[in-house]
Amino acid sequence: MTTSLRYLLLACLLPLLWSCYPKGAEYTDELDLVYTNYASDFNFTALKTYSIPDSVVKITGDVISDPDGDGKPSFLPSSSGKVILDQIKTNMSNYGWTLVDKRQNPDATILVSSMTTTNIYYYYDWWYWGWYYPGYYPGWGWYYPGYYPPYVTGYRSGSIFMQFIDNTSKPWGADNAPVKWVCILNGLAEGGTSDIAARTQINIDQAYTQSPYLKH
Amino acid sequence: MKYYILSAFILLCGINSYSQSSFILTYPIGFPMGDLHDYSKKTSWRGINMEFLGHAKPGVAVGLETGWNVFYEKVGKQPYKSGTTTVTGVTYRYTNAVPILVESKWYPTEEKKKANPYVGLGVGTLFASRSTDFGLYRITNEAWQFCIKPEVGVLFSIEPGLKAMVGVKYYGAFNTDDLDGQNFLSINVGFVFSSL
Repeated sequence: MTTSLRYLLLACLLPLLWSCYPKGAEYTDELDLVYTNYASDFNFTALKTYSIPDSVVKITGDVISDPDGDGKPSFLPSSSGKVILDQIKTNMSNYGWTLVDKRQNPDATILVSSMTTTNIYYYYDWWYWGWYYPGYYPGWGWYYPGYYPPYVTGYRSGSIFMQFIDNTSKPWGADNAPVKWVCILNGLAEGGTSDIAARTQINIDQAYTQSPYLKH
Repeated sequence: MKYYILSAFILLCGINSYSQSSFILTYPIGFPMGDLHDYSKKTSWRGINMEFLGHAKPGVAVGLETGWNVFYEKVGKQPYKSGTTTVTGVTYRYTNAVPILVESKWYPTEEKKKANPYVGLGVGTLFASRSTDFGLYRITNEAWQFCIKPEVGVLFSIEPGLKAMVGVKYYGAFNTDDLDGQNFLSINVGFVFSSL
């Protein structure tokens, strides 16, 4: 066997190095998380009725801003909010809860809010530009000598936040409303409206599935 | 990571050309065991392994080994509980294992036959990097673990200076504060390039 053939043998084995990176998530729903937590000393089944506002609040910061001066926060579009609220109501009903108006002294209230964040990253894959620089192959990266660059590109992530408030312990003390159950749905806020709605419904169902203590 | 291994490869090739020695390049198939198996059960088909050996005396070689084994498993959507907290999602589990070992090999038949068995023992460190992608988040644990590697295998002579080989290696890594020992069995197939 000639020396060149030996090098060819080596060269055939080296590509193994470049195949070492496995794939990650391919679909947006694979990045969805459903988080729940609760007060373990609270008896949820002692409560029967609940109320829920007819809108989903958009939280834009830890301090509310009211740019239009109407004394209210921003809300999700009613069509998007309705998908979320209807799914919560369906699950609450399935768990034996009775929906009442807030003026009927409900035992509990569920507050629903949403947050979106734009995540930016400076170190996107060099491969996007490998075609422009012959000889510089996949695996190269970016170097910003001594400074941070402006936004390059990004993606939007979103969360839906559900808080279960115990009204039976009123008057509340210490200026705090008691949140006995909390749920966060987190994932990519990308894709079509129908896709996001479907994912949201599935994840709300999962939130109740993993919270059996809410069931009567 | 790939650049470190490529650099090591080039270095080992360079050393090889100036001494009476062997360079071994193999493809490892990794089988996770112990804590690594608890985390990621799938066989690893991704990796590369390199060894540089100098012949200390007839039938005995000593040298260095390094490589890269990638263990990966996608675990479908399922809930994870801790106390009152439950989180449900898909997890993508990656473990990169890079052994860096000094080793010795013994060839009982001194490579005189067409097929020659060998046994080996390596001692050194295993760099283990475990990353879990969970939703939009990544949790990473890294550790340098003390590692012992027994090995058995067979060399098949093809022509002077070139052999094919198949071997079985067990990487026994020890627990550290950051990560339990990442143990795995590896079946290696490849070639031995020896200076004449």
